Amino acid sequence: MKRKLLIQGILAASVLAGAQIQAADIRINGFASIGGGKTFSEGTDNSSNASSEGEVEYSADLPSQGNYNSNFDFKADSIYGVQFSSDLGDGLSATGQITGAGGEDFQATIAWAYISYDINDSWSVQAGRQRIPLFFYSDFLDVGYAYHWMRPPSDINLPVDSFDGIKLNWQGSLGDWDARSSVYYGTNETDSEAIGELGFDNMIGAVFYASNDWLQLRASHLVGDIWIDNLSANSLDATQDQIAYQYVIEGGLPFADGDANPLNDATGLAGIIMDKFSRDPDFREGQGEENANGAVFSSIAAHATFGNAFVVAEYTIYEFDDPVISEGWTEVEGYYMSAGYRIGSLTPHITYSVNERELDNYFNPVTYANASLDPLTDAAIDGTEKTESITVGLRWDFHPAAAIKFEYQTSADKSDQEIIDVKGDAREVDTFSAGIDIIF
Amino acid sequence: MKKSSIKKLLAASLAGVSLLASAAAFSGVAVVVHPSNTNAMSQSDITRIFLGKKKSYPDGAEAIPIDQAEGSATRSAFVSTILKKNGQQIKAYWAQLLFTGKGTPPKEVGSSGDVKKLVSENPALIGYIDSGEVDGSVKVVHEF
Repeated sequence: MKRKLLIQGILAASVLAGAQIQAADIRINGFASIGGGKTFSEGTDNSSNASSEGEVEYSADLPSQGNYNSNFDFKADSIYGVQFSSDLGDGLSATGQITGAGGEDFQATIAWAYISYDINDSWSVQAGRQRIPLFFYSDFLDVGYAYHWMRPPSDINLPVDSFDGIKLNWQGSLGDWDARSSVYYGTNETDSEAIGELGFDNMIGAVFYASNDWLQLRASHLVGDIWIDNLSANSLDATQDQIAYQYVIEGGLPFADGDANPLNDATGLAGIIMDKFSRDPDFREGQGEENANGAVFSSIAAHATFGNAFVVAEYTIYEFDDPVISEGWTEVEGYYMSAGYRIGSLTPHITYSVNERELDNYFNPVTYANASLDPLTDAAIDGTEKTESITVGLRWDFHPAAAIKFEYQTSADKSDQEIIDVKGDAREVDTFSAGIDIIF
Repeated sequence: MKKSSIKKLLAASLAGVSLLASAAAFSGVAVVVHPSNTNAMSQSDITRIFLGKKKSYPDGAEAIPIDQAEGSATRSAFVSTILKKNGQQIKAYWAQLLFTGKGTPPKEVGSSGDVKKLVSENPALIGYIDSGEVDGSVKVVHEF
């Protein structure tokens, strides 16, 4: 805490000079998490398409593609960040945060860079790159020290976490309650190894937060347009079946004259798909910004503290007009409930979390390849894809500015049988992880 | 918390021995402002200012809270009694606000003596000091 000395010096100097105490104050803060872990289940017979190596992966950090597999790894949960803030006086301040996530080989990126202006005691405005306030924990997702888990449940996670834009904030109080609210507008463009170039345009969101000395309540809502461009190889693999379905079965996109009719040649399907990929830039590259699809996100959360015990629960729903599945919107629900009890410097905790996604007309390549079935009626399946996880963990505050954590998570694939038959129980995985979080 | 209750016990027994000495020996905590600050403050006003939820005094003038250095018994007593949090909770609270641009923790300025000196020189400041160190240079708005 060297900065204390600096601040003390500045403080003393400004008092002597009779200047405002916060003038010319530069604050440097940082955080770091070093975490490691591995998965335990090698997958079942059904999890054939879990990953290319046939082993089950666990995604610890979606935005940076930090995944665990059966080899102990130190990257997925590891991150560092340094924040600089400068108070320019008269309510104006500038903040920058540089972070590097293990999933991205610790490459330094500018997580935030914004200018904030306090209009008065209640209102302020921020402009620049900021975190999207989606979830209860998303504002400080990277700061492991600020919560009890290794990571907030990834059942509620998006591959997008920041935006470039403007945010208007209000804060006030009524009786024992304090409230904060923000509205924001912005755009985001992310390069993801898993997906490709991912864009989020015309984001308009609002978040409301209220707290008293034991209860915190929060609600968040966001609408915008999403698009994908320059699809990554991983993404092509994952969506190829769906794209094939749309091309071939639904006839959503017409074949050019001279193309073989795939319905007469089921075995030649793969070849036709590959041919399409090589010739059609729309599918090779994604739909692009000009053909963006709508997306809506909402969440509600509550956090209660009872002496040494706490309970936190959150429900989120994310709906988007899937560019691949043509009918209707895809709906992804995620929720969790977590409880912990503090005994001195130890906080044992337990969490139940669920991720659920409705699949309509999911293309079934197994059925399609079976010539005895009618591809038009049997190839498409409807059903629910669902993961249930239980996480038990221990946080040990062994130092005023550092905590050690241990966590074991067991996830079960509770998808409908029709879905498991096709996709495998790919989400059946146990993960052990441990780490240390510090702030400075 | 334990430390301060032991101190209070000690103080109480001292008081039994000598009533005269008790005032000086009792080591409670006083929340202090500049003598020119005429605001009457409730405990929740103080809590809000120290948790960054309010940036002004009841009369609208700017309020700047200052903390004692980490590890000070006075600070521990203040955090547990007034802010109703333990050391780890207050640290996590500020980490959440700090790294989301919603607020910055009060500056840390050392001991009761340092706080008293700064508060006596700046009408915007509010701090907490050992009750035994209170003198005419600052005004007590709350004591526990």
